Amino acid sequence: MAASTVSVLLLVFLPLVQMLLSPSPGLLWETIRDKDVLRAIWLSLYASGLAALISLVLGTPFAYLLARRDFRGKKLLESAIDLPIMIPHPVIGIAILSVAGAHHPVGQFLAWLGVRIMGSVTGLVIVLTFVGLPFHVNAVRTGFTAVPERLEKVSRSLGAGMTATFFRVTLPLTWRSLVIGQIMCLARAISEFGAVVIVAYHPMTAPVMIYERFTAYGLEYSLPVAAWLIIASLVLFVILRWVSAAGEKRP
Amino acid sequence: MSLAKSRLVIFALIAVLPMTLPSIAPAAGPSGKIIIFHAGSLTVPFAAMEKAFEAKHPGVDILREAGGSTKMARLISEVGKPADIMASADYVVIDKTLRPKFCDFNVRFATNQLVLCYTDTSKFAKEINPENWYQILQEKGVVWGHSDPNLDPCGYRSLMVLQLAERYYKQPGLYQKLLANRPEANIRPKSVELVNLLKTGHMDYAWEYLSVAVQHQLKYLQLPAEINLGDYHQDDLYKQAKVEVSGKKPGTTLTRTGQSCTYGVTLINQAPNKAGAVAFLAYLLAKDGGLKILADQGQPPLDPVRVPTAEMKAKLPAELQGLVQVQD
Repeated sequence: MAASTVSVLLLVFLPLVQMLLSPSPGLLWETIRDKDVLRAIWLSLYASGLAALISLVLGTPFAYLLARRDFRGKKLLESAIDLPIMIPHPVIGIAILSVAGAHHPVGQFLAWLGVRIMGSVTGLVIVLTFVGLPFHVNAVRTGFTAVPERLEKVSRSLGAGMTATFFRVTLPLTWRSLVIGQIMCLARAISEFGAVVIVAYHPMTAPVMIYERFTAYGLEYSLPVAAWLIIASLVLFVILRWVSAAGEKRP
Repeated sequence: MSLAKSRLVIFALIAVLPMTLPSIAPAAGPSGKIIIFHAGSLTVPFAAMEKAFEAKHPGVDILREAGGSTKMARLISEVGKPADIMASADYVVIDKTLRPKFCDFNVRFATNQLVLCYTDTSKFAKEINPENWYQILQEKGVVWGHSDPNLDPCGYRSLMVLQLAERYYKQPGLYQKLLANRPEANIRPKSVELVNLLKTGHMDYAWEYLSVAVQHQLKYLQLPAEINLGDYHQDDLYKQAKVEVSGKKPGTTLTRTGQSCTYGVTLINQAPNKAGAVAFLAYLLAKDGGLKILADQGQPPLDPVRVPTAEMKAKLPAELQGLVQVQD
């Protein structure tokens, strides 16, 4: 067990610590004062946050359906929702661009609405939702499955409606898995590069900027951006975990 | 068959065997993995060369990695990724990033030129011609783009064409007026990525190399030699175009000066498979080999394939000496 713990820690932390320690403090400081870097990290967090919220709103009822109902083709649907995890990322970007293109009815409708996907924050959020949604749905479905249906039935038999039952019985028992779903979704979205760079190179998210800095200036100047993205993500995730742990103590 | 007869047959077989052996197992042909880093714009011809070369030498496995030339050179010089051959869309990248520490020579082997690509559904596709293209690109609602000048030689070359056009068409301020109609969102890391945007209708016009236009069956507008960066006899004119690109660190810049599109290729000193790499280079630089494929794919090879100095020629492997000439 000790060996397992040590290997896991080494595997996860060694490259990360190396990444955080290699840029000099001076360069780290200089990097964080760079407006473009701040903008890219903020855009990453902001667009990923929006994607997570959209996944929360769209994905939670769907996860509930998967957890509670049995129907024909459910297995197929469950596999389909995992597809974004398996598809190579650039393919996702190309697919989204193709659907939003001027030759596609969806693209023509979007153009009529005045919505631009290529090189826009809208496009970014759509891509990030696409890649993040399965993580939210899967985490939340597991949470719902763990709640005995019996409890919901009791609530319904005592006169509470479906909505009231959901918010007063199911949600208080599962909100931690919702937070975990959000964390997973957010994490996935922040890390996305392959699909994003196809849909939007500008405005630049942090992963795209890391790639751009690496290509234009080399490793030395891409590392500090990566270090700041890791620090920002770490802070965000520690806060989210802390919130969910604090909530657990007072049920 | 009597015993004596079968002995005779066996004897005959043993006698004949050595004659057939050399054709079964070539004595010292190239073998193993050959790692080639090359510019994105060389992907199609290099894929064809890979196929032909591997068919000729079954023991060889060519591993290609394509990307912006500057990035690929950096992967060698900074990340230390192993590679045998590096082929750049701008031979200057090899001189700037790799020579003399990572390679000894830089053979210029092919040319290209900038064209304005479009499709049937692009706005003004029916009207565009070499006289009005710069007006069309200023029209509101016409979406056009180029690749990132900081990452991709095709990007800064696209900007150079626009600068040269300002002089050639005698339209003062044209360069800035054109850029004003090209939002940053229309810039992509690599020019090849713009092809997808053209084909899906996200973009009306994109600056590409002629080769990319030919290989992706795009419509394209060919521009006068004075501005298309394709003719090295015009280098004195091209020199007037200057584009600022990112320098050694963020916030700094360096100036790229216009020059004809000339591809360079080199052998990396630390090549894991030097013998294989030299054999491939010999194939690439042969008129009936790689150069013929390049010509078919819209990347006219240079004739002769050249290095700038006799001193550099002396550093070429013996197998390549006969293929390369000294010419500035």
